[in-house]
Amino acid sequence: MITLWNLFEASLLCLNAVCVLHEERFMQKMGWGTNTQQQGFEDQSTIKFQILNLVRSIRTVTRIPLIILNILTIIFKLLLG
Amino acid sequence: MNFNASRNVGHSGPRKAKRVSDVSAMGSPSPAPAFSPSPGFGGGFPPAGPPPPYQQGIPMDAIPNFGPQDPSNNFGYPANFTQSPMAPPSQIGSMLQQPVVQDMALQYGNQLAAQGREVVQRELGKYVPVSRLRYYFAVDTRYVLKKLLLIVFPFTHKEWMMKYDQETPVQPRYDINAPDLYIPSMGYVTYVLLAGFMLGLQHRFSPEQISIQASSALAYIIFEMVLYIATLYITNTNTALKTLDLLAYSGYKYTTMICSLLAGLTLGGTVYYCALLYCSAALSYFLVKTLRLQILSGGPTAPDTSYNYSTYNPSNPYTDTWAKPSSGGGTKRRVYFLLFVAITQPLLSWWLTYHLIPPSVVLQAR
Repeated sequence: MITLWNLFEASLLCLNAVCVLHEERFMQKMGWGTNTQQQGFEDQSTIKFQILNLVRSIRTVTRIPLIILNILTIIFKLLLG
Repeated sequence: MNFNASRNVGHSGPRKAKRVSDVSAMGSPSPAPAFSPSPGFGGGFPPAGPPPPYQQGIPMDAIPNFGPQDPSNNFGYPANFTQSPMAPPSQIGSMLQQPVVQDMALQYGNQLAAQGREVVQRELGKYVPVSRLRYYFAVDTRYVLKKLLLIVFPFTHKEWMMKYDQETPVQPRYDINAPDLYIPSMGYVTYVLLAGFMLGLQHRFSPEQISIQASSALAYIIFEMVLYIATLYITNTNTALKTLDLLAYSGYKYTTMICSLLAGLTLGGTVYYCALLYCSAALSYFLVKTLRLQILSGGPTAPDTSYNYSTYNPSNPYTDTWAKPSSGGGTKRRVYFLLFVAITQPLLSWWLTYHLIPPSVVLQAR
């Protein structure tokens, strides 16, 4: 039975996972780097491009609020178990 | 004759200077507060004008008790200069009962409330399109009845096209094919109540269960919406569906859930499954027929690489866009998305209801 709190936790963990993917060390090794993909402007409709774009934008947007949310959640879980 | 070096030495009796104290230790006199209490006020607040700096040292030898002082202290020594600028609570209490202060407080409160309401409306208008919401709730009884009947038995309905009024969809009360948010929200509330009722029948009920069921159903709604929007974004399909439309269409499954729950409540477990199967089939048929026109008709803004020349009338499904070769995301992807929606709806309606059905118990057997 998922509740709103479970949903919040799960989404927090997922966002953390997305933000942790390192650009240099990991993405480029796997061929998902975003600097080499700008060459082909024709294939902007592939699923891979969309997903990588999504990952990059999530990383940019939610990096700072995620820090705050994580701290709050950690404090909350410490206090209430 | 007294020679007073200061210009503004007061000549009222109680302010007769007894000694010149160390004014420099006092700092500069702070101005009086904005309001001027009525003369009969014995609160010990500073007077309307700043007291002469010459006489600030006077209350130093006065006892620093701040009870209601005698009227001779009416023009009030700035007794609070040695202390914090705020008067102690007892004086605030007696101050708040003065009608002038109450009027001003009321006015200030009104102003604050108006400002707050304006801010809330502005911020809310940025995230939730309130005027769009109003469209979805423009229903009447006939529409609701016919729509409910349509969800349960859509097989004889012939005309699935939505009516348009110069590119904007007509309000739901005039067009039975238009989506609305009234039925989903009522269905959600009814589902929560019905879930509580059924749990009560099985002696599994407690008041927390209501909130657990409600938040669980809400979490599933949010999760489903996120899934649909993410799928639409990742597969890069431009459809004429807006987010609220998706919300409306995914909220119609509450009707099927309630129907199957009621059937299972009165007639037992097997009937529940039968009703669930039939209602899910009906809902899938209904969704496919309705969404086919909206998903497969192309997006609101056709991309440049498409061969669609009717870009000036994008959301009107009357323009023939069936024969377009894989533009704007591809017809195949849209069909898959349609199937995805049509399959997840029954699955979710089963998932949200099966734990509520009493295990093979018929009501009359109790």
